[in-house]
This record gives sequence, structure tokens and C-alpha cells, in this order.
Amino acid sequence: MASDATVWGWDVAAKALDVVDDPYEEEHGGDITVEQFGRSNMKDKFKSRVLSGSGAPAAAMMESVDAAAWVDTGGLRDVSGWIEDAGIRSDFVSGKWGPLTKDGSTYALPWDVGPVAAFYRNDVAEEHGLDMDGIETWDQFIAEGEKLPDDVAMLNLPPNDYDGVWRMMFRQLGGLPFTDSGAVNINSETSLRVARQMKAAHDAGITSSVASWSSEWFSRAGEGSIVSILSGAWLEGTLKAEVGDTSGMWRVMRPPAYESGGNRATNWGGSNLVIADQVSDAKARRAWDYMQFALGTKEQQVTMYEEYGLFPAYKPAYESDAFDQGSEFLGGQAAGRMFAEIAPNIPTYNYTTDTPEITKAINSELGRMISGELSPQEAVDRAAQQVANRTNRDLA
Amino acid sequence: MGSVTRDEAGWRFLGYSFVLLVTLLMIVPIYWIVVASTLPEQAFLSAGTDVRLLPGSNFLANLDALQARESVDFVQSIWNSVFIAVVYTLLSLVLCSMGGFAFAKYEFKFKEPIFYSILATLTLPIQLLVIPLFLLVSQMGLSNSYWAIILPWAANPLGIFLMRQNMKQIPDALLESARIDGATEFQLYYRIALPTMKSSLAALAIVLFLFQWNLFLFPLVVLEQGKYTIPVAINELIGAQRVYYDQIMVAAALSIIPLFLVFLFLQRHFVSGILAGSVKE
Repeated sequence: MASDATVWGWDVAAKALDVVDDPYEEEHGGDITVEQFGRSNMKDKFKSRVLSGSGAPAAAMMESVDAAAWVDTGGLRDVSGWIEDAGIRSDFVSGKWGPLTKDGSTYALPWDVGPVAAFYRNDVAEEHGLDMDGIETWDQFIAEGEKLPDDVAMLNLPPNDYDGVWRMMFRQLGGLPFTDSGAVNINSETSLRVARQMKAAHDAGITSSVASWSSEWFSRAGEGSIVSILSGAWLEGTLKAEVGDTSGMWRVMRPPAYESGGNRATNWGGSNLVIADQVSDAKARRAWDYMQFALGTKEQQVTMYEEYGLFPAYKPAYESDAFDQGSEFLGGQAAGRMFAEIAPNIPTYNYTTDTPEITKAINSELGRMISGELSPQEAVDRAAQQVANRTNRDLA
Repeated sequence: MGSVTRDEAGWRFLGYSFVLLVTLLMIVPIYWIVVASTLPEQAFLSAGTDVRLLPGSNFLANLDALQARESVDFVQSIWNSVFIAVVYTLLSLVLCSMGGFAFAKYEFKFKEPIFYSILATLTLPIQLLVIPLFLLVSQMGLSNSYWAIILPWAANPLGIFLMRQNMKQIPDALLESARIDGATEFQLYYRIALPTMKSSLAALAIVLFLFQWNLFLFPLVVLEQGKYTIPVAINELIGAQRVYYDQIMVAAALSIIPLFLVFLFLQRHFVSGILAGSVKE
């Protein structure tokens, strides 16, 4: 095992790796260097260096959504053997493995998941007499939203990211964008159902359309004229940072089901760590040793959750009472426990190198559906056709 | 004024109006970057409600926030960019003018095929070259050095082309008589050809400087933190969940200044240099 290894990451994730760096070096020796980048810079740089076969760090962060494209470069190390040797596969939430696996080989160790919740402004809901606790289905969600005055939206559907909303809702229903043989499947009954649901929410007049991550988005969330935002567990950290003065006014609830008793678990976002194939075996072993320590031990995953809100994919961490702690920002609600219950039930999903085409097609066609130009059926059909045309894939 | 008819005056008015309009189109975004760099982020991003067109007083605060960033040393990146662009421009001027002189004034085997193959490399997009060039510079032991960015395009095909076109204008008789007077071939290039090329060189300098100044992907892949050029440093400000527009605006506003100075310094040569050699007499 080499004595040192470098790990690349971005934003808070890199900071979280930095935090578990010291305890690792104390317990296992070795010298780990964590380098922090901007997200798009890191992706471009890492991919170029992986493709050129030189200059890549031992380990790096990878979003699940990019997994297919990165694995496809042939520059990532197959870590299946090490995962089996350590016997840790079943310790991670099962929904994570699909995108990381190709032809029976696994190319990454899961890090965090983004169990989805509706983050909502409890103060505004109470002011208008909404019964948020009683909501189970989308119909009920819309009915409560209709009690709000015109200038207050129950839900924001971001026009720059219809795809994010669609994917989250599609996955909740167990939808898969590609069939096993790789055919495009985004015009399935399931996808149509999601499109109809988004359209129904819009037509009921309970939605706003503000671009996500824009400052208007934050300011409307701060003033309470957008009551709820569907997002991954990590949104709490972002809201804390951006609209900290609304602390205590927020709560979370599971995303609405399609029918009573339906699944209410899905995912938005999440990362993994990969090892570059070009580094020596000795360095790769050191990187793996660090990864296993950082991502596959209860203590370190709880630390990352507490310090940076990264929600573990590593299930044993959920035993910690850190997840039962009430969050001050969420008015004392123990959201961690709710997310820990959601995570193991997240349906699996698949990504391919053509996932970006799906993003583009869904965004534009659902946009035209929302504006009334297309029916839901036309929108999903056109999106599927567009992806099939551009990628030479078959339609399912 | 007597010779200017009403018609001509009308056309002239239209012409100037058009030029003014285009100028405004060019200037407004730059003006807005400068204004935005002096405002708090909320003030210039709040969607359309009240558009601020006058500078505010938040410039230093934005600058402080920019300098407080951990993964970006912006002051260092200005120095990196200036050093790389200046050295590159000077080196490239020498190589391009020598190459252009050779192609314009000497006869040698395979001259035309060589020239056109150099010209053909203009059609290769940078994205295609990044990985091979990265391998090349790392095998030369140059990765993460300024030279890794300066050398690959030092013999710039566009520059060689421009210099060749311009140097064709130099009368052969002039070079011939200098030869008879005992000038060496290098003296022909340095004493006779170069002095007549001042405006072309100035124009080329602007083009080369701009090219290097705006290079993004290659420096990103080749350089490590601390050696980043300005475009790479600015891109560091785009995070996963947050884009720091206020800091980006300050960085962008500051990054215009060196370009502005270069252009100001060389501008009177610019137009005449670009036009030189474009007409065959």
C-alpha cells in the first residue's frame, strides 16, 4: 500500500472528506491530500486526465448521474473484488448500485443519497389553514394548495429543471428511462403518469415557475410565497445557508404518493468515490483503504451527516441517534429519521451515456406541455422520439 | 460641404446610426459587468423588478468575498494570465513572422504542401487537441508549468498565414539589393522585413493575446491550482448548488483591464494591420 494518495472533490463534499482525513491518518497512517474544485472544473479536468491516461488523482468524487459516461471511458478501476472481500455490498442502500455497475463489474463506492422530501414553510401553511400532515396523495396535496391565495404557490416547478422533477417522480413509481436492452423508455405509461401529474398541479394553479438556484428562488422561499420545494435531503443545508433567518419555520414531509398506499420514497442527487485505473496498485489500495474508512464506517458517515448534511448511503450509520436529533432549522423535527426510513426504499434507476439527451428532451417537451402547447401524451412521445433519433437507440 | 449632396448626407447619417447601434450592443454587456461588480448580488439578479444601471458601492465587499475563496487565488491567477499571455504573444510574434517570411520569400521543396498543412490545422477544434497535447507536455516534463500553455500554440497557424500574406508585399528587389550589399539572411528578415510590418505585428499581437487570454479548457486540464489562469479561476466560482455571481462579476470586470490596455496601446495599428495584404494590386 502506498503511503500517500490524492482525492478530488467539490464544494461541501470535499470539505467533508477533509474532516475525516485526520482520523484516518491517525488510525491507518498514510497521507491523504484532499483537493477542492469547482464542480464543472473538476468534472472536465478529471475526465480529460482519465482519458489521457495520466495525471489523474488516486480517487475522485462522481455523481451517480455521470456514472455511465465515466465508466464508459474505461479509465475507472473495477472495485467489485474489494467490495466483495470487505463484504460491504449489502451495507449500502440497494438503489445506489445500479448506475455504478456495468456488465457485472462495479466501479465506485457509494457515498451519499438524496432521499426526497417536500420542504415546506409550516408558518405559511398554518396561516392559511393547510393540513400538511393529512396529505398522502397528490390529489390531497393539490386540494390543500388550492386554499392558498393567488400570490402564494404551493409548489415550485422550475422551468430550468423540469427534468429533475420528472426524474424524481418517475423513479418514485419505479420507472426506468432505458430498458435492459438500452431502448428509450421515457414514453412509458409510468412516464405519462408523471407528466399528467405535473400538468395537473400546474393547471390547478398551485404552482409557480421560478428557476431553481436563482436568487429569486431563494428570496421567494425566504418570504414564504413559495410554500414547498421538492428536493433531496441535502436541501436543508442549502436553505440554512441562504435563508437562515427563516430557521424554525420549515418542516419536511414525504413526497406525495400517486394513490393511497403508494410508494413515497425516491431520490434526488447523490455521489460516490471512484478510483482511476491509471494509478499504481499500491496507490489504488491506499485510496480504497481511505474510501472504505470514509464512506463505509458508521462513525465517519455520521460525522459527514452532522457537519455537512451529507446523507449516508451506508445503512449501519442510520442506527446512530444523530438521526433522531431534532433539527432547529426544521422546528425540532427529526427529519434524519424520516430520510433514513426513505433511503432503503428508493427504487433503483439507470443512467447511460445518453442521459444528457433525456435531460434536454424532457426539459423542452415538458416545458411545452406545461405551457399548453402539447398534451402530456404528445410531450412524452416527442421527447422519447427525439432521444431515439439523436442516439440511434430503439424506442421501447 | 458644397460637394456633399442631401442623399450622401442621408446615407452618412444612416451609416453612423448603424455604427452607433452596433457599438452600443458591444458596450452594454461590458458596462453591465462593471456595474454589476459594484452591486450586491441580490441587486443585479432580482428578476427585472428594478434594474440598476448605475454603479453601487459594493465593489470592495465583492472583491473581499472573491479573495476569501479557498480554492481560488484570484490575484495569483491575474499574474498567471498576464505572464502567459505576454510571453506567448512575444514568442509567437517572433515565430510567426519568421515562418511567414520564409513562406513569403523563399523557395524550397514542398513549400506549398507544408504551408497548406499548417493552414489546415486551423480547422482542428481545441477540444480535439487537449488530450494529445496534454500527453505531449507531460512527457516533456512541462505539466503544471507556464510553458505547457505557452509552447503548444507558439507557432500559431493563423499568425503564420497573416504574416505570409503581408510579407508578400515586400518587393523582392528590395531584398535583392540588400543581399548585394552583403546583408545576411537574418538581417534581411530583421532589418528589412520586420520594420515594414509594424502594423501587421501590432494587429497580430492583439489577436494572439486575445487567443491566449481566453483559452480555457487546455489550461484547466494542464494546470494545477495556484497556476490557474483567469478563465479557469472564474469557472471555479460555479459551485454545485450555488453560482457566486457577485464574485464572478468582479473577476470578469478585473479581467477586462489588461485586454483593454493592450488594445489601447496597439489600436492605431489594428485596422491598418488587418487590412494590409488583403488587397492584391
